[in-house]
Amino acid sequence: MLTLNYIASFFLIVLGLYCIVVKYNLVKTVIGLSIMDYGVNLLIISIGYNGGTAPIFTEGELKAASFFVDPIPQALTLTSIVIGACVTAMSLSLVIKLKEMYGTLDTREIRRLRG
Amino acid sequence: MSHINLIHLLNPQHFPIFTIMLYFLGAFLIVLFGKNRILRNCIAFIATGLSLTLLILLVKPIMINGGVIAYWMGNRVPAGGYAIGIALEVDALGLFFGLLVATAVFVSCLYSFSYMSEDDNEPQYYTLFLMLAGGVMGLVFSGDLFNMFIMVEILTFAAVALTAFRNRVTGALEAAFKYLVVGCIGSTCILAGTILLYHQAHTLNLAQLGTIIAGNLDKNTIIAFALLFIGFCTKAFIVPFHPLAADAHGAAPAPVSVLISGVLTKSGIYGIIRLAYFLFQLMNLGAVQFWLVFLGSVSMFVCVTMALAQHDFKRLLAFHSISQIGYVLAAVGLSTALGASAGLYHAMNHTLFKGLLFLTAGAVLHETGTTDLGKLGGLSKKMPWTTVLFLIGAASISGIPPFNGFASKWLIYQATYEKAVETGNIGFAFVTIVALVTSTLTLASFVKVTQSVFFGQLPKECEKAKEVSFGMRFAMSILALLCILTGLLPNLVQKYLTQPAAATLFNVNKYINAMLGTGLPESGAAEFKPIGVWNPVNWLMLLMIALLAICIVAIASKYDAVRENKTEKVAAKYSLFYGGEETEFSQVGGGDLFWGFKHNWRHYFSFMHDLHSGIVNDYSLWAVVALALAMVYALIVL
Repeated sequence: MLTLNYIASFFLIVLGLYCIVVKYNLVKTVIGLSIMDYGVNLLIISIGYNGGTAPIFTEGELKAASFFVDPIPQALTLTSIVIGACVTAMSLSLVIKLKEMYGTLDTREIRRLRG
Repeated sequence: MSHINLIHLLNPQHFPIFTIMLYFLGAFLIVLFGKNRILRNCIAFIATGLSLTLLILLVKPIMINGGVIAYWMGNRVPAGGYAIGIALEVDALGLFFGLLVATAVFVSCLYSFSYMSEDDNEPQYYTLFLMLAGGVMGLVFSGDLFNMFIMVEILTFAAVALTAFRNRVTGALEAAFKYLVVGCIGSTCILAGTILLYHQAHTLNLAQLGTIIAGNLDKNTIIAFALLFIGFCTKAFIVPFHPLAADAHGAAPAPVSVLISGVLTKSGIYGIIRLAYFLFQLMNLGAVQFWLVFLGSVSMFVCVTMALAQHDFKRLLAFHSISQIGYVLAAVGLSTALGASAGLYHAMNHTLFKGLLFLTAGAVLHETGTTDLGKLGGLSKKMPWTTVLFLIGAASISGIPPFNGFASKWLIYQATYEKAVETGNIGFAFVTIVALVTSTLTLASFVKVTQSVFFGQLPKECEKAKEVSFGMRFAMSILALLCILTGLLPNLVQKYLTQPAAATLFNVNKYINAMLGTGLPESGAAEFKPIGVWNPVNWLMLLMIALLAICIVAIASKYDAVRENKTEKVAAKYSLFYGGEETEFSQVGGGDLFWGFKHNWRHYFSFMHDLHSGIVNDYSLWAVVALALAMVYALIVL
């Protein structure tokens, strides 16, 4: 089952990169960034998963025989999701401003800085 | 009780976390109280000034006494040899970069007080400014790989927002968007690399990762190395990522350019050093050395030729900035004590002279409203201070003795040549040649800028220009003074700053021991043996004599001119070149100075111009290709 997770996460990362490289629409570029982020999140969660229970324990409840998933990757994923949301928000606000200024969403026309 | 706690806070052990917190706290307070101009400036000044002071206080225990500060947040010390808490660790290398960051931030903050005073949204500017500073400071002091990623994200966001800050300037939004897209690809690479390492080692602590991964590589960790490496390359704007730097610098306000060039690129270089020397300990492999030196040399050369073809003052400076970062990377990649010391020396100088140059460009923009080289000219009559300061910066970056660029470049030439002699590999001598040629081209391009901005005739549009305010001149003078001092006292700089920092690269176990208390054997003191010695005093004497000669000639010719003017009146001064009649405006454009060279290389220049198409998809494609190449190369050679 986990193999499928890894395949899916790398598929998402590559799909996101493909979207960024090939699509000329600014909004699609932002979507590509998000998809890439989701791929990495899936990768992190999969790496922490070992078939155990949720890692929620109060004091004294934790025993040597307790079998739970690694909590660190979950914490990392939460952080990464927050950052992903920030990326999306910030890039979309830039897209709005770019549309106002250039009157287009086509990346091939937004190239005043070159050479 | 509280009395005792307060005294306890003055322990240098706590200084690193204070430094980071001061920036973030300052950013937070400015959001709350930033409406008032005086209060806002006070908060920013105290945050940046106090951080710098704290770091200077750390020089003695860390640089001179050779200590390492390992600080566990919440006092969660390692249990059973396993790092369970989040750590800050400051060794000489971290402190060295921290000092650079704090200095650049402090000076550009001083400059901002008058430079940004006419912008609206000033509170937001200082908030982002301090967040960027805090992010970089957190990155260089962090002892935890995931925290490094968080800090990278914070500084990327702050840098993107600051790039788009003057969003009515042509290209500001565009530059910010491109930077955001490619920067996020880089950050995602860092995150993916981090998590692949976590998968293998089940820890995020740098020291512990170092003990587990080094010498114990498998395919996962090799791919993680490539991912992290490319991630930090995007932060340092090493070659396939250099167009982003050029765009961002051109659009951002000048003090932000100082931060992006002097501070942000250093965070990338710092990341690469930590990665290659500490985490993976791969620098004794010829293939990795070749990788770094090759990338550095390519950055040097490509960016300097790109700079030659530019028509915009700040964009030109941006390409030079990456070109100088290439020197740093190439020198650090040599993996010799001399090379590392020279690279770090150059990194320091880069922060100083590049900061100075960007600030002078900002002064020109502030007074004339343009940075287009074709529209400027003759500003030395209107802005003499700025001109002198610019000339100091230009001489430093071009490696003219006795300024600091010469000291570090001289060491880099020696280090690369020595490496060629040691290994018998002619390629390293070739790097010396590339470095020399690059330095020459840098000088050529600065001659062009000097001619087209400060000398020549004053266009009508620039006649209103006057000298900038005292605050801006003061900030620029600090950097100029530091440029001269670090050039005149290379021995002191090496002894107290760069050599302790470079020595940590070859004594990784000290870092690990300080963090985990494992007691690994530490290597002895690194040996720094430069081939030739140079004494800046001789050069200073030469410079004095040359200056004296110029003064004498100038005074003598002026005396002649005065005498002639009495008889032939004003028209005489035109007779020499124009046969008597008063001419129209006849500025010699900067672009015309090297037309022969450019004409011979026109295919190269037009090829490069077409390559840097300005389309964000192309730059993303470069990033993906670089990532793929890095992975393939790493899998083959490691």
